[in-house]
Amino acid sequence: MMNRGYYALIMVLAVPAFVWMVPTVWMLSLSFQPNDVLARTTSTTALGLIPIPFTLDNFTALFAFGSTPMWFLNSIIVALGMTFGVLAVSSTAGYALARLHFPFKKTVIAVCLLGLMIPEQAVFIPLYTMFADLGWHNSYHALILPRMAVPVGVFLMMQFFKGISDDIEEAARLEGVGWLQIYWYVMLPLARPAMMTLAILTFLYAWNDYLWPLVSAQKPEYFTITLGLASIQSNFAQSEGLGRVMASGVIASLPVVGLFLIFQRYVVRAMSVGGSKG
Amino acid sequence: MKHVLIGAAIAAGMVVPATAQEISLGRFFGACEDAGTDTKASVGEACIIQSIINAASAEIDGVTVQTLPTDWGNYYDQIKAAYAGGTPPDVHVMHRHRIPEFAGLGALADLSGDLAAAGIDTSDWAPAALDAVSYNGGVFGVPMDFHANLWHVNMDLMAAAGLVENGKPVLPSSPQEMLEHAQKVKEATGQDYLAADFAQFPIGVRLTLALMWQQGANIFDGDTATINNDAAKNAVTAMTQLFDAGAANPQLNYADSQQAFLNGEAAILVNGTWVVDFYTAEAAKSDVALNNYYVADFPTLFSQGATWADSHMWAVPASLKAKDPAKYNAALKVLAFINDHNIDWARTGHMAVRKSVLDSAEYAALAHRDEYTGTAAIARDTPPSAKYGAIQDVLNRELQAIWLTGKDITAALADAETEVQDLLDR
Repeated sequence: MMNRGYYALIMVLAVPAFVWMVPTVWMLSLSFQPNDVLARTTSTTALGLIPIPFTLDNFTALFAFGSTPMWFLNSIIVALGMTFGVLAVSSTAGYALARLHFPFKKTVIAVCLLGLMIPEQAVFIPLYTMFADLGWHNSYHALILPRMAVPVGVFLMMQFFKGISDDIEEAARLEGVGWLQIYWYVMLPLARPAMMTLAILTFLYAWNDYLWPLVSAQKPEYFTITLGLASIQSNFAQSEGLGRVMASGVIASLPVVGLFLIFQRYVVRAMSVGGSKG
Repeated sequence: MKHVLIGAAIAAGMVVPATAQEISLGRFFGACEDAGTDTKASVGEACIIQSIINAASAEIDGVTVQTLPTDWGNYYDQIKAAYAGGTPPDVHVMHRHRIPEFAGLGALADLSGDLAAAGIDTSDWAPAALDAVSYNGGVFGVPMDFHANLWHVNMDLMAAAGLVENGKPVLPSSPQEMLEHAQKVKEATGQDYLAADFAQFPIGVRLTLALMWQQGANIFDGDTATINNDAAKNAVTAMTQLFDAGAANPQLNYADSQQAFLNGEAAILVNGTWVVDFYTAEAAKSDVALNNYYVADFPTLFSQGATWADSHMWAVPASLKAKDPAKYNAALKVLAFINDHNIDWARTGHMAVRKSVLDSAEYAALAHRDEYTGTAAIARDTPPSAKYGAIQDVLNRELQAIWLTGKDITAALADAETEVQDLLDR
């Protein structure tokens, strides 16, 4: 009975999973079809999936575009920079708020959590003008720094550090270890699962980020891959260059897919922690 | 000896070139990495404009141009943020309908007193082009084109329906006649009479606006919305009668409507000037159903000719003019260079704005241009408004509610009027 119920559940879940996959498969299929054919019809595929006629032109055109490798590199720099930055800020802040005692601690926690309730668009113009006043736009640090203050990351790490037994910290203190060393040698190794969760969430967010790079990076040499691939589309790309648009989507999503395959266990855990970052 | 040294210093000063100015140029149209500097050989919007920019950078003494490409959909978000942060590009493209929004805030430089010195002859611009870049007595840009709605025609389908005379399509002169033509096409070919993007971009809005203008009406007059009236109902009904007769499909988006036309499934496609060269190239292919392609001015279905039109134009930030005169002059040289290459940009299918280009043999030799020369005279747009985009969004939503969900026409127009009035009151 259990087996029958289990397989029935799998069958039921497979239906929405398949429906969810259709746009992705459709994107992949269209990316391998010639643009001039797609301008006339998007229905030449076999079984709706296999691209006929087949071409690699859309991908070769994108990789032949001289700036594409640079944009990939920019995305890697920004995503990694943001990931390490968020880990550093969130873990230190989370540790301090969870384990240290200092004046106005509750107020600091409240202010930090208030950040969860403020949409990023609300602070966009002040943030932009602040970076403009500093002359920082069109730089890597302009792409990375504004995203390092992540309230949900601080909250996540704070909750994790709160859950660690006081005995471990007390034992370290008895050995004469200071709070900085406790953080570095005791707490951080214990926090590795939470850090991995936060790292994956941050990397995915950084890789897919579009709005801030759009306004901060005006020079192509600082475009991330999502911004760069969008910038080379013609005004009516969806009708005259659909294959190339789809190929752009495939290329931009490949690292994320790779990340998922490698860290699938952590990604699932990360998604259960929270589907969005504040 | 002293005089010799002073003379030598002056001479040296005369031969040393002035500091080279790097002009940042913001634009959409897409990227073209290998556009080169041959403005006559490039093809397509992205490569033609980039070849002109590259040539300007190569040929203007003491000026280099750095292009800042952005995708079209997010262009104005980026430009607005750049203005807000005080870092706009030195020159940037924009649509004519955005002038009230930007110039109204004082963001754009008034170029009117400086164009002649830069070598730009505004008397050579078509009157509508000068009007397009004028706002509150100033000139806030250099126009590059008119782009207007045209009727793209499949002559084979029209001929099958008996709607071709003297090598030209017979176009309707009233909504009733349009329905009769549609029925002829349907009976003779089984295909739709008309296709357009009714479900996505505001091409359906522009079509409806044109039919309102043809009746001497408009969607607002000063600060008063004027949408819920007979003229608007007539305009909308002219379209819905085609849907009801099965001669047009309201569910087509931009790509779908284009596919229908290229596949020979619609006799007429309402779309802009920007696709003329693309369709010409497609019609020449043996595997494309569209063989006999013609371009026509938007027909007059009511009392006076009118079709929607906009312009691409180049603007300079007011802050550049105020703070850096040398760079401002360099920016004007770039604008003058683009203005000089109006004929090259016209190869995109957009209409030229300079009278000398419009009258030239080179322009007349471009594919199909002689078929829509009348469009310049009937080009129209809504009155200048900083709320242009929001108003268009409201109209697009309500019109789509009519032809996609069957919303009552009067109710939809009343809702649109209420919302547009609210926008005008803010």
